[in-house]
Amino acid sequence: MSAMLLNKEKWSDFVGMLAGKNLWAPRESDEGLRFVPVAEGEVPTLDYNNTRVPPKEAVFPQTETLFKFKVGGKDLEEPRPDQDAVLLGVRPCDARAMHIIDELFSWDEDDPYYLKRREKTVLVGLACNEPGLNCFCTSVGGGPVSTEGLDLLMVDLGEKYLLEEVTEKGSALIDEVKELLEEADDNSSKQKDKLADEAAGKIKRSIETEGIPAGLPGLWEDELWQRVSASCIGCGTCTFLCPTCHCFDIQDETEGFEARRCRMWDSCMFREYTLHTSGHNPRPTRSERTRNRINHKYSYYVDKFEVIACVGCGRCINLCPVNIDILDILGQVKEEI
Amino acid sequence: MDLDKLRKTAAEVVAREDVRYLLGWKKGTFGYRIAPGFVEDAESAAELIFSPLCTANLATYLTLTEKPPLPRGQEPDDRKVAVMVKGCDSRAVTQLLIEKGIERESVVIIGCPCPGVVDHELLAEKYPETEETAELKWSDKGFLLLQNGEETEIARDELLAEKCRLCRYPNPVVSDIMVGEPVETWEPDDDQGVAEVEGKNAEVRWEYWQEQFSNCLRCYSCRNVCPLCYCEDCILDRLNPTWIYRSVNFSENTAFNLARAFHLAGRCIECGECERVCPANIPLGKLNRKLAREVREKYGFEPGVDPEAEPFQASYKPDDPEEFIL
Amino acid sequence: MINKENPYIPYNATVEDTWYETGGERAIKTFKVVFDDENIRKSWEHFPGQCAMIGVLGVGESMISISCSPTEGEFLRFSVMRMGKVTQALHQLEPGDKMTVRGPYGNKFPLDQWQGKHILTIGGGIGQAPMRPVVEYVKSNYDNYGGLTMIYGARTSGDLCFKEEFEEMSKDDQLSCHLTIDIEEEQWDHNVGFVPQILMDLNPSPENTIAVTCGPPIMIRFVLENLKKLGFEDDQIYTTLENRMKCGIGKCGRCNAGNMYVCKDGPVFSYAALKEVPEAFA
Repeated sequence: MSAMLLNKEKWSDFVGMLAGKNLWAPRESDEGLRFVPVAEGEVPTLDYNNTRVPPKEAVFPQTETLFKFKVGGKDLEEPRPDQDAVLLGVRPCDARAMHIIDELFSWDEDDPYYLKRREKTVLVGLACNEPGLNCFCTSVGGGPVSTEGLDLLMVDLGEKYLLEEVTEKGSALIDEVKELLEEADDNSSKQKDKLADEAAGKIKRSIETEGIPAGLPGLWEDELWQRVSASCIGCGTCTFLCPTCHCFDIQDETEGFEARRCRMWDSCMFREYTLHTSGHNPRPTRSERTRNRINHKYSYYVDKFEVIACVGCGRCINLCPVNIDILDILGQVKEEI
Repeated sequence: MDLDKLRKTAAEVVAREDVRYLLGWKKGTFGYRIAPGFVEDAESAAELIFSPLCTANLATYLTLTEKPPLPRGQEPDDRKVAVMVKGCDSRAVTQLLIEKGIERESVVIIGCPCPGVVDHELLAEKYPETEETAELKWSDKGFLLLQNGEETEIARDELLAEKCRLCRYPNPVVSDIMVGEPVETWEPDDDQGVAEVEGKNAEVRWEYWQEQFSNCLRCYSCRNVCPLCYCEDCILDRLNPTWIYRSVNFSENTAFNLARAFHLAGRCIECGECERVCPANIPLGKLNRKLAREVREKYGFEPGVDPEAEPFQASYKPDDPEEFIL
Repeated sequence: MINKENPYIPYNATVEDTWYETGGERAIKTFKVVFDDENIRKSWEHFPGQCAMIGVLGVGESMISISCSPTEGEFLRFSVMRMGKVTQALHQLEPGDKMTVRGPYGNKFPLDQWQGKHILTIGGGIGQAPMRPVVEYVKSNYDNYGGLTMIYGARTSGDLCFKEEFEEMSKDDQLSCHLTIDIEEEQWDHNVGFVPQILMDLNPSPENTIAVTCGPPIMIRFVLENLKKLGFEDDQIYTTLENRMKCGIGKCGRCNAGNMYVCKDGPVFSYAALKEVPEAFA
């Protein structure tokens, strides 16, 4: 696959040429930075660290209609997500997260909603030159220029962006904007490698994950779970903002005669998540729920799909209201193993 | 604030036989973060701090304690819980006493007069956080930042949290032990930070809140962090009957946020925690303060001030003039 | 069969017959259900142990044990306790009404591997629902099995499910049927006592026997203990787990017990397997 260069002066032309494509990019607003459809004439900036809500919402929306029906009727109308989309400026960790949850959504039975969106979406990545404060992607198999899950990787070389094709979807996109691009030379790839090394060097936080997946089951009864969850308030911040968290609820909702069955993000940190109708709860306290969250990411998912379901984006650390820090938990896990 | 005195007091309290643990503030894992600390022995009291970074209202943990069924034969631990409180936090404790959410004998209240804490987001924006834990102290000018071996003086107005600018109770209204001298109170804006929105017409206000509520992720961090949201079975979680659908959209989000705001009218003590923790930056403080002002002006009630007061939402006066009720 | 195009789309089915098994606030009602689409009716395959998501459009779905054996005919049976929103709505259904069904989900009792063995089912209350298909399956294949013993108990005789089948069962000399209730009642001429105790009184030999149990958690606990006392090995004992479920296909996350999804890797587990699952008895 080849690499091309885009002069930053042509950035608005680049965006303009893709305008008809249901283009998404991060935009700053009251709520903070978030991926939203690019408005007509809007030229998104790629000068940012990362969004609060991960771009998983473009392929796994927080609320999704599974089918619609009339109250009292029995005919089901299935909305099939069939719109193409291009996500501009996805960070490698977030693309890698989608790559990881692709496994789950195509395991055993295919999930048609997720997989269709995934197929129709082109992920244009943006390599990290300036990792965030709590980034630790390099500890969990990622990196500032990781291309897993991406279709195209952009690297900010200063005056130009380097565009590296990763998949055929990426190549097809390059073809559409070819007239704006120039062939990359050896120098740009050297520049990229240098930037990648520098970026990796700027990552301050880390965890040696070796031994964690195998060691976690042995810590089932350890009092560390009580300790690390003592201050947890049981909200959904860590899970909703996690790019690999994929749990959902399914509910029927009616409005007048219109009804729909929909699914929405759910969180294993909520009490209701596992609550039986009888009132019995197999995970009665926040300590069991915290244990499940860590085990799911660092042990169960590894058992099933041979990959840790954490990409080190740091969101759960940055946004936890009470400073529950997954690296701190993992550090304590390592100590106890 | 004399930290040695604070730690010594905490160590004494936690050493008491009738005290189970003490809730205080500890340094967090990085940067400006503060972590709620559950101190169980005198030795760990040395980790406690009190600084302008200590925004968290620890009173929330008084009702957040889980009571899973005990193994047969095990007695419940009903020793007291000690809690360190700023002025606003002490109002939460008082309001819990008013509502009989907790019993006075079940808590040891350690009052910390508070000259005002910082807006963490503003702080991190102006003085970028690093992985090293930083210290922030109160100084004559406002705040003194000690970060990576450097000291920076910061003016109070530059970083003071909005809820603190509007605070009328910087000194704890209830306490068993006070640590430090009472601070001088200051004059808050009398509009409670809501005049800007109030001044606009209904349509514009609706549009404003529509946009804000549309951003809500329904993570419930606002509810869960709130010291006064302590219903064991929240009506907003109930599925049978379903009062609010779980779908995340403007309509359901609005229902959630407004229902919560109404349930807090005359109960919210304006600690600002909901707004601080909201990952979607919804200005929940504005909403709650607006209702607080209505309750104060129309009913003459201020929550969390007098532990002997009757709870506003649960009291009835036969001679209520009801002038403003349609 | 699971809708390959879209596993979330349920099939329409019609309630053909329905009756109450038990009364009271938490009544149990049985539904005999037939798929509306003939193709589905023909291609649907289920096996003892499996479950299906049944529901009422506009209210929701619940994961319920299929309480009939495929050997009984081209219909499905579900016995549903009235508990929450969905089961309340299901209880409103009468013959001719529609429900939705998707599935079947979960693994199966390995009845093929158990050929030649004596099958012992031990059920309590609504826990007999997944036992019934095992009993029915063995009954229609007696030649392939070494015998069939059924222990079934409930608090009172009114709390027993599938009562209309007991008389016929008592005439079946290949089936050793032991019914019990917790407290003495007039006109009750079967056992009185808790299920685990009846098991001990019966004192079945573990030799060439498979024990299958389902019931309230406390009953399961003592049944497991007693089976061990009787000399049953861990791999001779099977039970089923239940957890809150939404998708049925191992995606929505909530039904896990340790690294197992109850909807995929369960609900049937051997005691040997279950011992390795930390949350199994949570």
